[in-house]
Amino acid sequence: MIGPARVLRAAAALQIAQLSANLFMLFCVFVQPLFIAVTAMYILRHRPDFDPMYVVVGAGLSGLWSVALFDGTWAVQSERWQGTLELIAASPAPVMLVVGGRMLGSMAFSLLSMVVCYAVGAWLFGYELVVRDPLGFIVAFAFGLFSLWSIAVLLSPIGILWRTAARFLNVLEYPVYILAGFLFPILFLPGWSNPVSNLLPPYWAAVALHGTAAGTLSRPELMLALLVLVLASAIDLLLARSLLQMVLRAARRAGTLSLT
Amino acid sequence: MPAIELNRVRRVFQTTTGVLRRHAKQIVAIDDLSLTIEEGELFGLLGPNGAGKTTLIKILTTLLIPTSGSARVLGHNVDREAAWVRPRIGFVFGGERGLYYRLSGRENLVYFAELYSVPPRELRARVDGLLEMVGLRDRANERVETYSRGMKQRLHLARMLLHQPPVLFLDEPTIGLDPIGARELRETIARLHAEGKTIVLTTHYMFEADLLCQRIGIINNGKLVAEGSPDRLKQLVSDLSVVELEVFGATAAAIERLRSIDLVDSVVVEQREVRQLLRVQTRAADRAVPLLVAALEGIEIGRVTVREGTLEDAYVRLVGRLE
Repeated sequence: MIGPARVLRAAAALQIAQLSANLFMLFCVFVQPLFIAVTAMYILRHRPDFDPMYVVVGAGLSGLWSVALFDGTWAVQSERWQGTLELIAASPAPVMLVVGGRMLGSMAFSLLSMVVCYAVGAWLFGYELVVRDPLGFIVAFAFGLFSLWSIAVLLSPIGILWRTAARFLNVLEYPVYILAGFLFPILFLPGWSNPVSNLLPPYWAAVALHGTAAGTLSRPELMLALLVLVLASAIDLLLARSLLQMVLRAARRAGTLSLT
Repeated sequence: MPAIELNRVRRVFQTTTGVLRRHAKQIVAIDDLSLTIEEGELFGLLGPNGAGKTTLIKILTTLLIPTSGSARVLGHNVDREAAWVRPRIGFVFGGERGLYYRLSGRENLVYFAELYSVPPRELRARVDGLLEMVGLRDRANERVETYSRGMKQRLHLARMLLHQPPVLFLDEPTIGLDPIGARELRETIARLHAEGKTIVLTTHYMFEADLLCQRIGIINNGKLVAEGSPDRLKQLVSDLSVVELEVFGATAAAIERLRSIDLVDSVVVEQREVRQLLRVQTRAADRAVPLLVAALEGIEIGRVTVREGTLEDAYVRLVGRLE
């Protein structure tokens, strides 16, 4: 049996190496967040309730969500296009771990956008960027990342099973930014949309991260957010495993592993 | 124990045609095929495009599930025991896909070595050794997108050998390679066979199969139409002679006239720039030559030679055409 950690690490390293060699991805990670952060901080700088840390965390979450959505639906299909899916499927390494490793690499790479936003806030605008509950923030960060990673892994078989549906899923990028309260609290949204927000794991990741960064989240509130994230992740991963097995078996049966 | 056993394997593909009214269609790629390959054997699979060679290789490499029948590698079922089979086989498919182009050759190999759980302490030495073996050591740190077709093919070969599998599948590995690259690859295949690997090789090149393989199977329309050593297959055409006529501007009608001659078994046309080489199989060359020349009246004829049947001629006889 091959070590799961080894496969995850190898696939993550491969993904980071591929992204580093891709100018478009470098633009997405370094240049785009720079524009967003500069614009947001410039416009909001005079508001008395402006919290620059909210922008940094929100921009980071936005980057992570975009990666989960796009790379998730694209992960298996891109291997197929490159002709490497057959090599992976015929290797002893479980395909789910390979996909999971790739998503891990993408997310680690996208975290650089959070660093860019932090740098803009701290050095360009001279803000004091403080995390008020560092321990809670670290835990929330780990759980939030795990939750978004689980969604990305779940999206990978969906991207193959329902290719057209996967394209529509990509439309969810901005609605989730808004509904999950990445860049501004959902209190600004109409009341009817709040239950929808509550159903989204990224919302709970945002609650935990923004709350611990600002120091406004009590321990029970944090625990509730973390519990939702763990449950959602478990469901995502169980579904992903079954769907991936089903997809690969169907592809071996239909002879479509190598088709583009 | 045989390395490979195919027992009445059948593989059917379902396709659909039409946009508004979709029609389902079944294509039989492998039809009731049985075959045994012993450990340490170098077995060649010959056949025209679409004959089922690649389908067979994909079944044996766990990438396709047979519709019926059973396929076993080293005694284990490739469908139900795929997890057991996978670490023990290596494969190369012809063509340039199947590599991460933005990464270097070395990075590609390291990645696959990790997926195949090559012991970490041996990984670097094994990757370096294989890069050396396939002649890519000097270009190992360059991106694969800058490699020539031959270099990519050699990188595939190195990838296949990373986990030192005892059974290898090579699907048209020399296709598109320059003559020197192809010869080097054949030498590598011969060396791997000498090391005791079981090798299944599909190829379009008869001389390659004749040179390398201990046994050859000829597959056509999903069926195994002949099987045996190259010498045994050549005996299938021992009663035949081949008349080769070099002509200029032979028309389709002229070729049909040749085919209609009683003594003619088959005619293969090979276009060579402005010339055509007509290969005519016949049982009585001495009597056939004057008839052939007469049938080509009005067409300029260059060289005419008569020779004994080769493996390629046996193939033409069995398959009925040459691509």
